[in-house]
Amino acid sequence: MNVILKADGLTKTFSLSAKQQKLQNTKKKVITAADHVSFEAYNGEIFGLLGPNGAGKTTTLRMLATIIKADEGDAVVDGSSIKSEPDTVRSKIGFLTSELKLEDFFTPNYLFDFFSKIHHIDPVTSQERKRKLFEKFGIDKFAEVKVANLSTGMKQKTSLVVSIVHDPNIIIFDEPTNGLDVITAKVVTDFLLELKEQGKTIILSTHIFSLVEKLCDRAGIIIDGKMVACDTLANLTAEKPLEDIFFDLYSENAGGAE
Amino acid sequence: MKNIITIMSKEFTRFFTDKRMVLMTILPAVLIYVVYTFMGTMMARVVLPDEYATRVFAVNAPASITQVLQAADIRIENIGANETPEAKERLINKEADLLMIFPADFDALVEVYDLQTAAGPAPNIEMYFLSTEPNSATAYHQITAILDLYETSLVNKFDINRDNTNADLATAEDVAASIISMIMPMLLFIFLFSGCMGLALESITGEKERGTLATLLVSPLKRSELAIGKILSLAVLSFLSGLVTAIATILALPNLMGGGTDGMVDVNIYSITDYILLALIILTVLLVMVAMVSIVSAFAKTLKEAGQATMPLMIVVMLVGVSGMFGGGVPTEPFYYMIPLYGSVQSMSGIFSLEYSTVNIIVACISNLVFACIGGYILTKMFNSEKVMFSK
Repeated sequence: MNVILKADGLTKTFSLSAKQQKLQNTKKKVITAADHVSFEAYNGEIFGLLGPNGAGKTTTLRMLATIIKADEGDAVVDGSSIKSEPDTVRSKIGFLTSELKLEDFFTPNYLFDFFSKIHHIDPVTSQERKRKLFEKFGIDKFAEVKVANLSTGMKQKTSLVVSIVHDPNIIIFDEPTNGLDVITAKVVTDFLLELKEQGKTIILSTHIFSLVEKLCDRAGIIIDGKMVACDTLANLTAEKPLEDIFFDLYSENAGGAE
Repeated sequence: MKNIITIMSKEFTRFFTDKRMVLMTILPAVLIYVVYTFMGTMMARVVLPDEYATRVFAVNAPASITQVLQAADIRIENIGANETPEAKERLINKEADLLMIFPADFDALVEVYDLQTAAGPAPNIEMYFLSTEPNSATAYHQITAILDLYETSLVNKFDINRDNTNADLATAEDVAASIISMIMPMLLFIFLFSGCMGLALESITGEKERGTLATLLVSPLKRSELAIGKILSLAVLSFLSGLVTAIATILALPNLMGGGTDGMVDVNIYSITDYILLALIILTVLLVMVAMVSIVSAFAKTLKEAGQATMPLMIVVMLVGVSGMFGGGVPTEPFYYMIPLYGSVQSMSGIFSLEYSTVNIIVACISNLVFACIGGYILTKMFNSEKVMFSK
């Protein structure tokens, strides 16, 4: 299998305010959100980043999506470096996170067309894609309703569809099922599996073990900004269930930050 | 380029399909028209009170004065000297407007009084009125003015412009131009700036606060395309909003001047070239204004913060706008026209007062474009900065 995404020593630090230093009783001026995170994702697989809240999953994904710049390290996404060619990387990936919102004023229909234009998709292809995706997610029923008037689930579906208007080969999902009801969550996870069948590569982050077990071919466990384990799911869970492995790793590694 | 057009078309769709935003743009124009017309009407009313019959009591009113006042449509009710306390009482009760008490032989006293020697005090008229009562106060001032005129006519030695009604050699055009050139640059500047302030805050800080700008930043869109698209579309929208307000102002100005239809302020004095140069100045200065506000908006984390942060800018713009009203005419050296904002105000003053050099106007336009490009560059840098865009 081909490596389609290779992260190499991605490091990101954020500075702490004086107040926050006092609060955490530390003299450290910076906090390391991601500490030399390295991993590879192969073409056509689902790779999961598993970790507790604040472990650095989102920071890592945001660096891969070129929204924030890595202090150290680099990553090559489908042949393009996130450091030197961020614009190209952005055209090759679909990135979905709860931070990215759609403008309340517009309708799913308008937004799909708008982002298709931004990605320079020819109108025929984009209309065909829109028809298929809207039908699959049931967006056709509320295609002309302003985003402001949509429910959380409808918004999430719309965001998902809008993030893949350009049919990207690599899709990065930050907590794909967060805040969704079980039915919508299932629609989303089924869709991820379907994308995988189409040969897409998916990188997702989550703190839900069952999601990793159900979806991922390989997973990396991040604790306190460090990648403490990274292997195929089969190898990771060879001896114990994923949950036990995780807590073992957590008690071994989490102490360092205190 | 294609992306810039996509961004602009989105901004236009956002604006024109939102009835509330369109209304918020037209409303100030309507308000300006209404307020100016109202102010004009009120001022005219102060000068020319209604058909009100002033009630004046007089003791010993001489025939000469009665005649003079009658000519001004003021009728006097003669009362006896013993009735003065009662008249004063009626004045206080607002049943009368004025009480005049003349010396018994007023005309004769005036006749014998010699200005040259000025021996002894001049004959005196006592006048009682109620300053808190508008009709009474008006009557007092009106009658005092009439009596002063009468007094002057008694010792008439020479006249000024007795029959010459065309003494003011300024043409109607000049008068209109000088009035418009005083007021319009400042008003236009403030209208344009407040228009672009509302729009840019919403379009940049609003989108940033709501997280929709981040969605755009994840797309392969170049940051420079986003910055240019935003600045251009905001400038066009602000231009339209400024245009609506300016038209309302021009329509309302004759009403404000109290002239009504007497054509004192006729805006048809400007040629097509004047209007084209004006439009060029406005469009280019708008780019500068939009770039300035956009940069501040991009720094701000919330709409509220952005609103506070743009206030100092607003004050600067107003001060610069006022500079067009004073300073004895527009400068002629091209250097002044390179100064952002200031050069544009002076250009507008120049165009409105019909005293400008085309070279200076073009200098101002080019300077505006240069500063707008610098602003666009800074905005691009800011869109690129994760600290500015993503730190909470």
